[in-house]
Amino acid sequence: MSGRVRENMPDYKKDKKRVDGRKMDELRPLSIKVGVIPNADGSAYLEWGQNKVYAAVYGPREALPKHTQNPLKANIKVTYRMATFSVPERKQPRPNRRDMEISKVLGEALDKAVFTEQFPNTEIAVFVEVIDSNAGSRVACLTAASCAMADAGIPMKDMVAATGVGKAFGELIVDLNKDEEDAFDAVDIPFAILPNTKEIVLLQMDGLLKKSEWSEIAKLGYVACEKIYEIQKKALSEKYQLSEVSQKLIGDKSVSKSGEKDSAKIKKESKGKAKKVRK
Amino acid sequence: MSKKVVIPGELISAERKRLGSNVFVSGGKIYSKVLGISEDESEKASVVPLEGRYSPQQDDVVIGVVTRAIFAGYNININSFVESFIPKSAMRDDLKVGDLVSAKVEYVNELREADLGFARRMYGGEVIEVSPVRTPRLIGKSGSMLELLKQGTGCDIIIGKNGRVWARNGNIELLKKIVLFINDNSFKSNLTNSVEEFFKAEGIPVSAPKKDAIRVNNFVEESEVIVNDLEESELLN
Repeated sequence: MSGRVRENMPDYKKDKKRVDGRKMDELRPLSIKVGVIPNADGSAYLEWGQNKVYAAVYGPREALPKHTQNPLKANIKVTYRMATFSVPERKQPRPNRRDMEISKVLGEALDKAVFTEQFPNTEIAVFVEVIDSNAGSRVACLTAASCAMADAGIPMKDMVAATGVGKAFGELIVDLNKDEEDAFDAVDIPFAILPNTKEIVLLQMDGLLKKSEWSEIAKLGYVACEKIYEIQKKALSEKYQLSEVSQKLIGDKSVSKSGEKDSAKIKKESKGKAKKVRK
Repeated sequence: MSKKVVIPGELISAERKRLGSNVFVSGGKIYSKVLGISEDESEKASVVPLEGRYSPQQDDVVIGVVTRAIFAGYNININSFVESFIPKSAMRDDLKVGDLVSAKVEYVNELREADLGFARRMYGGEVIEVSPVRTPRLIGKSGSMLELLKQGTGCDIIIGKNGRVWARNGNIELLKKIVLFINDNSFKSNLTNSVEEFFKAEGIPVSAPKKDAIRVNNFVEESEVIVNDLEESELLN
């Protein structure tokens, strides 16, 4: 490490522990819930450390205005937004340069995973809204968006698993938090892969890195993404185990008694909810 | 047979198998395309999707809503990516915006636009919206579930493959409850039995129809009913 270390700065080489007590290759606690927005075709809510993210997917649907249609493939249109209260200083609600950039790179990453050629002239609209953030919100959004896409039943080659990797306080680490991102020697790399093929679909970098350090970091990233993939898998299949429990409840007790309650419950849970189109 | 929930990109089989729907091959292995259910031991590698939009297939019976009426014909929303068009010459009676139409998909082109045929206006009744990928469970094996629903609720039912269930007469409130129950539990096996129990608990006698005795005639049979009732409903109006 360079001799520029300031006083009261953590030194990860010496401490063997990070500022929030994690190991160098440990992720912040991650939980995903799928199917949270009834009006969307697919949706997901994700909590990753302090990051809280909602993702909603609509489509495939007719791309409008018509000149945006591509007769060979579907457009994936991602809208990344941060809530005004998601950062310490109020964020201007108007989409800024950063919002647009992240929307673009997320769309390109998802595009690699989806069989877009199956849906000519359509668009798949993805909305990701950051409710609370603490570094790594774009990878949180990408992880949530890919779960929401699977929940919408969109044909995909693979899920997209993403994490932040990089360097802070002299050590190579995984999933940087805000303190680490602001370190004097910080390197922050959003890293997203398709877990089956190990294909990298998102890679950006802030900071400076040696070539040898990068190959180490990539290894860390692959391992971390595998962990995230497992969590995504669990979240998606869990949705269909929960209903199993509710069905058992209905089956055990006499159905006629719980008629009112059941229908209310069913309506609440049901994604394709009943609508009276015409009487 | 063991069924399991698979996610997009999950390995279905490392061996060579016949390819069914919603799977793709990469590097000699078979993977799932969608979130769905796959059977391990079947000879065919295929996935039954759990979510998804309606994409029209030939010979599907669909229930559409008129969204626009112009001189030449009508735009029909069939819950797909694009609206379908029915020329006025193909319709026996005039339609208004908001009318319900049952029709059969005659042809689907490479842009997934559907040509509709046998279009008929539907009089009265209500529409229950469900997930399009789950409509096969509402019909059941060779129509057993549909038969059961008709028996139990006394409704005239048409199940549109596009996720719209049209019903008239009979106990529609009960039907709604059961249809939504099936919609929510579509990934479970033995649904016909649970629905039968449901009816029995409500005090409605039903007998599960014998499987070979039923013919799926979701379309023709019901459309005859509509024609017969046409005059009657006009009198009521």
